[in-house]
Amino acid sequence: MSHTLDVQHLSKQFNQDLILSDLAFQLKRGEILSIVGPSGSGKTTLLRILAGLESPSQGSIHMYGKEITFQKANRRDISLVFQQPLLFPHMTVQENITYGAKLAGKKNNHKISELLKSTGLDRFKSYFPSEISGGQQQRVALARAMATEPEIILFDEPFSSLDPKLRQQIRYWVRDFLVNQSITGVFVTHDTEEAMIMGDRLALFHEGKFQQIDQAEVIHKHPANSFVADFLGGHLVIDEQNYVPLKECSLDPINEQEARSYNGVLQHITYQNGQAVGHIFLEDLDHKISLPLEKPISGEEVTLYIKESSIRTFGGSSL
Amino acid sequence: MNIKKMTFVMLALLLFIMPVLLLLLQSVSSPWRFQSGESFHFQIESFQVLWSAANLLEATLWSIVVGAGVLILNMAVGIAAGKALSTLSFKGKPLLEALFLSPVLIPVLAVAMGLHLFMIQAGLADTALGVILIHLVPTIPYSIRIFHNSYAQLGKHMLEQPVVLGAGPLQQLFTVELPLMKPAIRSVTFLTIVISLSQYAITSIIGGGRIVTLPMIFFPFLDTANTSVMAAFAVWFAMIPLAMYIIVEAFILLLPYSRMPWRNTR
Amino acid sequence: MKLFNNKSVYLLIPALLFLTLPLYGFFSAIFQSLSGGDRWTFEYYLDLLESTRFLSSIWFSIRTTLIATIVSLIIGVLITRSFYPYLEHHVPRLLVWLPMLFPHFVWGYMIILLLSETGLAAQLLVEAGVLQNSSAFPIWTRDPQGIGIIVTYVWKEVPFVILMLLPVYGSIKPGYYDLVKTLGGSKFRQFTAIEWPAIFPVLIETALIVFSFTISAYEVPALMGTTFPEMISVLSYEWFYGSGWEDRPMSFAAMVSLSLLILAFSAAGFSILQKKRWRAMRGRSI
Repeated sequence: MSHTLDVQHLSKQFNQDLILSDLAFQLKRGEILSIVGPSGSGKTTLLRILAGLESPSQGSIHMYGKEITFQKANRRDISLVFQQPLLFPHMTVQENITYGAKLAGKKNNHKISELLKSTGLDRFKSYFPSEISGGQQQRVALARAMATEPEIILFDEPFSSLDPKLRQQIRYWVRDFLVNQSITGVFVTHDTEEAMIMGDRLALFHEGKFQQIDQAEVIHKHPANSFVADFLGGHLVIDEQNYVPLKECSLDPINEQEARSYNGVLQHITYQNGQAVGHIFLEDLDHKISLPLEKPISGEEVTLYIKESSIRTFGGSSL
Repeated sequence: MNIKKMTFVMLALLLFIMPVLLLLLQSVSSPWRFQSGESFHFQIESFQVLWSAANLLEATLWSIVVGAGVLILNMAVGIAAGKALSTLSFKGKPLLEALFLSPVLIPVLAVAMGLHLFMIQAGLADTALGVILIHLVPTIPYSIRIFHNSYAQLGKHMLEQPVVLGAGPLQQLFTVELPLMKPAIRSVTFLTIVISLSQYAITSIIGGGRIVTLPMIFFPFLDTANTSVMAAFAVWFAMIPLAMYIIVEAFILLLPYSRMPWRNTR
Repeated sequence: MKLFNNKSVYLLIPALLFLTLPLYGFFSAIFQSLSGGDRWTFEYYLDLLESTRFLSSIWFSIRTTLIATIVSLIIGVLITRSFYPYLEHHVPRLLVWLPMLFPHFVWGYMIILLLSETGLAAQLLVEAGVLQNSSAFPIWTRDPQGIGIIVTYVWKEVPFVILMLLPVYGSIKPGYYDLVKTLGGSKFRQFTAIEWPAIFPVLIETALIVFSFTISAYEVPALMGTTFPEMISVLSYEWFYGSGWEDRPMSFAAMVSLSLLILAFSAAGFSILQKKRWRAMRGRSI
């Protein structure tokens, strides 16, 4: 069977800058891909091309084997949820949600009322967007995208304007919804944690390319390169080829022959998930790491000890 | 009410309300000759005199026909250009914007005189269409600008949202863009109609005395009618933009997703 | 760069078609002012320069228009900056824009009603005993000084100036005022430091629009003016519709000269704006 979405050799050039360079990936039906990367790296451009709002310089996009590279945005069976809710201010909540479905001739009152119920917006259906809260607005925006029953929904950091607590709740709600309806999704974010919650697979995007696409666990265990290891934050990057998982680093001397050590400065301590975390600047590597502390440390000067045997090479080749 | 607000109210009354009230009062009273001891004398004959003038109703009709034509063309050209200017980005855009505004800077009298021969050759002189075309010159630059601003205010993403949800160009226009640009539609209606109503010289050049709009009879009236009738005529002038405004407002209500003001859904 | 990959380009076609109208009219006017039958000639322009009627008319037009434009701008700025919090509300704004409902010449008639020698102001002053009789009232309409014209335009353009300035004042963040205040800035300093840079480009643009409209409009001076000196538009219109066709080239030459004058003013305005922007850019890079 052909893939729901098949992207090949996708490139986008803007003036002289190459924003996307030779991207390729496939999505199965119902699969959710999280694309994570630094802000301003071109993730939004990728989504806009997939949605049909911009055209690629090169490459092709296929949906179920049919080429849609040059199909207009309003003809594609793909929906895009922007960072801002962008509700139509002159329509009620219900009219907003029904809008796309009505245009597609897919208006189904039962489905709409199901959506209103599952978003918890039933009570607000005749309110105008200006009369409901930001979190509710974003839920309406999501419901509006879902009501058109698209094959694929693209999300461009849809929770970034919400406060952290609301964000937590809505993440799981969206994820469950997509899974229940087996809708294929592409989810763009700069937040690694969010990417892991939302996606079946994770794609690390940097400098116009996917640095690595895989399940979170695989990426964490075998980062493909120093960017991936650095961005995820679970590893100490020693150089372009080598890294050490943070959990194998120690601030206590190790009784072993083959060990090396780095001098560092403990800059401050924060507390996360009930654990003290030390933020240490390693002068030798000109690099900052965050390491859980097992016991209190006195003084600012610390030394990090590493077994030679725990040093690994990028590319997932070492085990 | 603080002093500043009071000043504002007084100033607004003096500068903007009083003149209009004055015209209204004069139109419903005999000419004022207070120094000869006459008091305020209420009458509505001046309107009767005005309406009984042979060519007033015809001129009113021509003014409405020309004004409506000018308005429709302004909407079409202004909305199209406004959308293009706000969604496209290209190198010469500031130059093009300046070019679209430039007809405001060229004397419209010079344009009308220059077009006169062409209009005769094209058979447009002495026709309503010719007059409508020449009235576009002082109006369209404003309409393009107002709609450009309005689209820019809606923002790129708000314009893309209906596209993503599957709306075609006309559906985008009628379900989202026009309902959200009501203030711009109102401004363009007022500006276009009033500017069109203000043209004596260019209407006379292109209309050739055949297309008799309200200004064409206002000037000759000055020599014959008394102040009350002239005041009534002045008030009559304001009725046309108001009537047009009401018509346009009715059209706005016909747009999808309009709330009828008398019906509350919740 | 791909310029035409977006369908929106087609939306520009009606506007571009429209542009041919004023451009054709303008170039045809230039052509007819230079055409001496079978050859090109500057004789009409030379005639203009020798015509005292034209010279006094163009001087009178520039002077009257400049006064009207500058006074409108000053009053417009004063009203907007003093009262813009009220002007944000619906009803006050509609009140201010009430004069825009009337054509210019209708407003001119209102001025006659108010300020002519037999007008309301004169009658009230006589009633109040300030004036002996209404003939003692100064001649302010159809006067050789153009006072009636100036008053009409100022009164009518002030709402337009407010219309142009209001969005600018609405977009100035109150925080800037607090900043200048905390730095010890005076009221005057607040105006020069915060408002002036924001309103300056709009003021220049508004000035150009008001100036070019006022100097070239026919209707108000035809109603309010005298036969000498007369506004350039009235003179051109008379030449265009004069006894014979022989004055028409003069009419075209006069109108083209006026256009060149407006163009010169516009160029000056835009170059001031460019210079300002250039200085602002340089200031940033230091």
